[in-house]
Amino acid sequence: LSLSGLFNIGKSALFASQTALSVIGHNIANVNTPSFSRQEAVLSSATSTTIRNGLLGGGVIVSDIKRDYDSFIQSQLLGQYQNYGRSSSLNETFSQIEQIFNEAGDMGLAIPLMDYFNAWHDVSTNPEGQAQRTVLLQKASALVLNAKQMEQGILDNLRNTNGEISDIVERVNSIASKIAELNVKIVQTQGSSLSSVNANDLRDQRDSLLNDLANLVEFTSYENKDGSVTVSVGMRNLVSEDNTNTLSTRTNENGDKDLYLDGVSITSQIQRGQLGGLISVRDHVESNSLKGLRKLVASITKEINILHTAGYGLDGTTGNDFFNPLQISLRDFSPGADITASITNLSQVTLNEYSVTFDSLNNYHVINNDTGVEVTSGAYVSGNPITFDGIQITITGAITSADSFSISPLTDAIKNFGVAVSDYQKIAAAGSDITLPGDNTIALSIAQLSDNTIADLGNSTFMSFYSGLVSDVGSMNKAASDSLKFDNNLLSEMNNMRESISGVSLDEEATNLIRFQRLFEAGARLITVTDELLQTILKL
Amino acid sequence: MSISSFTILNQLTQSLQRTMDEYAKLNSQLASGKRIEKPSDDVIGMTKAIDYTVSISENEQFKRNIDEVNFNLEYTSTAMNSVSDSLLKLKELLSNAGNAQSQENMSFYAQQAGEWRDYLLSLSNSMVGNRYIFSGFNTDQKSFVYNPVTSHFDYQGDSGEINVSLDKGAEIPMNIQGSKAYSFSLIGLAPTELSDGTPVNYTQSTDPATGTTTITVEIGNAGDPDHDIFTLSNTMDLAHIMSCAYEYKNIDGSDLNADAAVNEEMALHRLSALSKPLDDAYTQALNVQAEIGTRQVGINDQTTRLDKNNLNLENALSKTEDADMDNTITELLKVQTALQVLRESASLILSESLLDFLK
Repeated sequence: LSLSGLFNIGKSALFASQTALSVIGHNIANVNTPSFSRQEAVLSSATSTTIRNGLLGGGVIVSDIKRDYDSFIQSQLLGQYQNYGRSSSLNETFSQIEQIFNEAGDMGLAIPLMDYFNAWHDVSTNPEGQAQRTVLLQKASALVLNAKQMEQGILDNLRNTNGEISDIVERVNSIASKIAELNVKIVQTQGSSLSSVNANDLRDQRDSLLNDLANLVEFTSYENKDGSVTVSVGMRNLVSEDNTNTLSTRTNENGDKDLYLDGVSITSQIQRGQLGGLISVRDHVESNSLKGLRKLVASITKEINILHTAGYGLDGTTGNDFFNPLQISLRDFSPGADITASITNLSQVTLNEYSVTFDSLNNYHVINNDTGVEVTSGAYVSGNPITFDGIQITITGAITSADSFSISPLTDAIKNFGVAVSDYQKIAAAGSDITLPGDNTIALSIAQLSDNTIADLGNSTFMSFYSGLVSDVGSMNKAASDSLKFDNNLLSEMNNMRESISGVSLDEEATNLIRFQRLFEAGARLITVTDELLQTILKL
Repeated sequence: MSISSFTILNQLTQSLQRTMDEYAKLNSQLASGKRIEKPSDDVIGMTKAIDYTVSISENEQFKRNIDEVNFNLEYTSTAMNSVSDSLLKLKELLSNAGNAQSQENMSFYAQQAGEWRDYLLSLSNSMVGNRYIFSGFNTDQKSFVYNPVTSHFDYQGDSGEINVSLDKGAEIPMNIQGSKAYSFSLIGLAPTELSDGTPVNYTQSTDPATGTTTITVEIGNAGDPDHDIFTLSNTMDLAHIMSCAYEYKNIDGSDLNADAAVNEEMALHRLSALSKPLDDAYTQALNVQAEIGTRQVGINDQTTRLDKNNLNLENALSKTEDADMDNTITELLKVQTALQVLRESASLILSESLLDFLK
């Protein structure tokens, strides 16, 4: 036992309090740093030495600097960030689409559609009137313009959505490479030894990046023994140790971006995160809002043209289309064969989409995509016309069983939508072939079409079909904004839970500041006393 | 649960955000006066609002249609009043002519009948705007024109009824065809002999294309010197025959018979035989007037119904999509108070720190 032992104890108190104060300072400095976990100097008593009468303590040491951290909460937080990301992009995109269908803001198609049929009523009460006919042509143009604007709005939105998917993919890749870098640093810092050094701040940074990533894309992650983390997206590794795979996009035949990782398409596996949200909103808008709007326009074109071509104009002409005739758009998935199509009987056209496939026995099969029913089939002979549901297709060339064609009367329905009649005299209000200016039979039938149920639209009227489209978009947006609210609340609740464990309280740090100030003061006092004791001895 | 500095800040920010959100929403409802500003505000309400708006506009259109029908029927009704008046005058003329008359009287009657004939012709060619209202669908053609070859008046219109929608699934014709207003058929049993015992035979046939009925009158027996056949298919024909008969002439201006006595007898027989068709023409004119009246009553009822219906729809629309101002303003004040309290408490909590007390 010597006085120098006392010196050492005093010194250990000074070192320990300095370290603790540094940790407190670090905490205070990072009070606003996101994902920062409060750190704490863990003090323990130093190894004691054996003296004659027992064990004598050797002061204090800082055994560890640990962070207050709950990995269970962190993993829940990651999941919730993914939900939140999905909800936020659903809400954002649907509220934009909703504006296109916003009937409350005098947008949309209800009023132009109504005005158009009202104009036919006016023609029916004044079949020979030039003014009424001219107004009808104007209202028809307004209807066409509005439909085109709505389609353009939806297409712009879809293009932006696809653009955003590419942007997010870039960000995912940049975050992934940062995570890989941190993986390397963490492994280096912690070393391969079994030392208890914890790369606290690097881990916090990595958690923060994982949170950002979770907001963007759905993934699973786990920590390896060496401290590195493996991130997989759609069952493929995005980050593993210091390696990253690049997430990439490819444009598919619909003009949409598909996601590829490690050479495999993972689009269908991404449900959550902003990417998941964008993909699902894109698919919904394409198959419901856009297709519905096109179907409505195709149906208007079809029904009006059927009646109008049967009627007679003031100039005695007949067979005139009111709107540009419906056209069949084709998509060719065959390298060796070509396809042409035309409408042979407009009233039989169902406004469904079809696909043509071939089997190994060289037979063709035409399938109605909307009902799943095979409408016709037979042995394939190049150049032989195939007729079904008012449509005639002709395929020429060599086919294989891998080939297919898709046939749709809807795709270009709005693109081709336009008023075919330019001369008011050619508006066919009359139903009889002698020139009868007062004959309003056809005008009346067309005007009354607005109240008729249309078989192609599931036996609803034009207007109720359209209002179905509006309420679909409305309820999707309602659901999206409700779940955004819910996910936001849940997220902030989880963040609060995380904060209650890992967060910094300035008051708490201030208390500790005083605590370790006192420790420092006492340690210094101990050294002074020891010094005085030494002086006493030296004076002997 | 321990509270970190961030937790308090976070909670304050979120509460402020929520309240501001509510505040902004109420504010924009006040500004637009509408409770539903986009479909997702109230999906069912939005669908209803579209329904109501469409129905209101449709009803407005039906009312416009009714106005058009009413205008046309009003005009037709006025013309038909004149038609029945003219026919009544012709009846008076014919009953007077039954007595033996002097030569001057007869030519005066001839002139009178001729004037009524011309008046009826001008009525049949009434126009509203640029359409001939009695021509069926053939509205750019005069309803009746004189045919100098046959010396008859020919109907140029058709049997077209210009139907107009008054309501979903309800139509009403807005025109009366000339074939209905000016052509007529015999009603009931026709007499078989004239007052002096001469046999008379009425036959009629209707042209399905135009709806006009042609009546053939045969007086006397075949082979008799005073045997006479003539046809008429409308009131103008009738008045024309009358006018000519007063002058002892056929409709083409020739004599009926070379023998003066036979000629006079035949002319008087004709006048006598016209009495039945004239009665039936008059009845037909009255029937048409009654039909117009029925249509007018019908569309007046329909107008009242549409007005009431629209009032209900507009009320329903307003209830669905308009904001309740009192309610919205009260809500706004509540939110405002909440916002104020939140700000004050925030400034109190945020300014507190233990660090302020450290020396």
